[in-house]
Amino acid sequence: MISKELLDKPAQKPFEFEAAYYPPKYAGIKAYTVDELISGIKRVDGLSIFYHIFHPLFSSHVIPEDMHNDFAVWIRDEIHDSRLAQIISDIEGKEPRTVEDVREDLLKILTENKVSGRASRPFYFVSCNPVIFKTGKVARNLGELIDIIATISMRSIAYHFIFKRVMGYTTKNDFSIWIEENYGLKELADSLSSIDPQTYTDEEKLREDLIRKIEEVIFS
Amino acid sequence: MIEKYAEIIGEDELDSIVKIAEKLKGVSVLHVNSTPSGGGVAEILSKLVPLMRELGIETDWKVIRGDKDFFTVTKSFHNSLQNGFGELPKGAFEIYNKWQEINGNELDLDYDIIFIHDPQPAGLIKFRKKGKWIWRCHIDISNPYEPVWNFLKQYVQQYDSIIISSPVFGRDDLIKPQYIVPPSIDPLSIKNRPIPEITVRRILYKFDVDPDRPIITQVSRFDRAKDPLGVIKTYKLVKRHTDVQLVYVGSPASDDPEGEIVYNETVQAAGSDKDIKLLMLPPNSDLEINAFQRGATIVMQKSIKEGFGLTVSEALWKEKPVIGGNTGGIPLQVINNVTGYLVTTPEEAAHYTLYLLRNTNIRERLGKNGKEHVRKNFLITRELRDYLMVASLTGSQQTPT
Repeated sequence: MISKELLDKPAQKPFEFEAAYYPPKYAGIKAYTVDELISGIKRVDGLSIFYHIFHPLFSSHVIPEDMHNDFAVWIRDEIHDSRLAQIISDIEGKEPRTVEDVREDLLKILTENKVSGRASRPFYFVSCNPVIFKTGKVARNLGELIDIIATISMRSIAYHFIFKRVMGYTTKNDFSIWIEENYGLKELADSLSSIDPQTYTDEEKLREDLIRKIEEVIFS
Repeated sequence: MIEKYAEIIGEDELDSIVKIAEKLKGVSVLHVNSTPSGGGVAEILSKLVPLMRELGIETDWKVIRGDKDFFTVTKSFHNSLQNGFGELPKGAFEIYNKWQEINGNELDLDYDIIFIHDPQPAGLIKFRKKGKWIWRCHIDISNPYEPVWNFLKQYVQQYDSIIISSPVFGRDDLIKPQYIVPPSIDPLSIKNRPIPEITVRRILYKFDVDPDRPIITQVSRFDRAKDPLGVIKTYKLVKRHTDVQLVYVGSPASDDPEGEIVYNETVQAAGSDKDIKLLMLPPNSDLEINAFQRGATIVMQKSIKEGFGLTVSEALWKEKPVIGGNTGGIPLQVINNVTGYLVTTPEEAAHYTLYLLRNTNIRERLGKNGKEHVRKNFLITRELRDYLMVASLTGSQQTPT
């Protein structure tokens, strides 16, 4: 159990919450077949992999709840291979994996499970550029960090919890890094790190699970 | 004005827009298009420009001028870019260039960020003095008439970035970034704001539509691309099984000589069925369109070819499930079994219409999802934020801290 004193103990360095949007841009590649999809995945930049694999969670491209990413939806709806779609849907995105690890897995799975068929609607590869801004919210202690995670826009949580880590700017999510550096709470940091954001389709469920993990450690 | 949107999009979203706008403080922005009123571009600019100013960004809007010959040329450009074929007036490229020259010399283009909307003023890039230039293309350029595209491309290539409405319209032959910014609807406009039930019923009565019986509604021009004959066929297939009315709300298009022919074909296909209403409303019948969409049980947009098809978002915003053609920007709005159903044939459309007419709970679920989908994706505040971001990104690249 973490004491009230620890929750209120000032951090050495406050946590400044930023947030980001990712305006999409056409990557100039489209695929009608799985072979073309493989070729496209090889050619696009990491931000494109981020956009199609992780962005659906907290962005507003509604994808069906039973599929976790854009590739899976396209394979199911256009190539009509539900089994392959399910495998692609459940690709692992947990720490310390980056978009490059995900790209490698995608290529391996698609190459090993080659399916024929031509889509009537192609897969359009989209990339993006992050537009990052300060939210003005700052946590000065652990208690404040928890309060802000519970209430801030998911755009901010996604930036700190997913984007920077999967793009390789950090090896862990920002929350775990801050908790460990300022409070030495490795158990709590690891607990947050164990969440795989790729397997969520509802951003609020991700927030709930972050809070639940924090509560589990704090009240254990 | 902008704070009125907070109730709809939430304070967080509005706050984000304010924060992103701060990146453009001190930057001058100019929008240039070809008409001050009428049409979707003028409509969006009439909202966006005041909102950008309200956010503290020095923003102007200028309109190019031209004679009848020029606008005949640009109309032929527009059609041939979207349809993939075309007939250009004699001396089209010379006429186009002449008016770029005239406008380029007359307009003050001394701004930091310039948005040029659509092909009509695209050639103004020749007169760039400073700043970053963004070409905002509102039309489908995925399958253009090559001679026109090749002519236009010499200008488009000179821009710093390009905005298209959907990845479907993306071009593989452009080097500059092609940002994807879908169009949007204004939830506070007369066409989309909540209206009382009595207004809906009164308008339906006025056009001899029974508000107490199921209604399929399609709002679109009498244009083959909108498949009015397919809509009639769909209705007739459904009618074999259940009581239903069809309301097709169109408006006369003086610039579309084919409109009358298609209308007459549709009248003939409808026959003497009193439950089919083929309406021709005057332009700006926003309240009536609002009422017909709200009064509908199911909204259809059974297009065979479509630009973006914002009538879909208008209907979804009113919590109506939409059966839409699997083309253009419709699949961005209609997500199968989430906000409606994508179809290609009248038989498919009839199947899902009947399914929805039989299942109130499914209609309600799709309707609620549809409203949320539009709230997140297709409201004017999202388009405003996207413009700010593209301006910011075009002005400077960022990396995470």
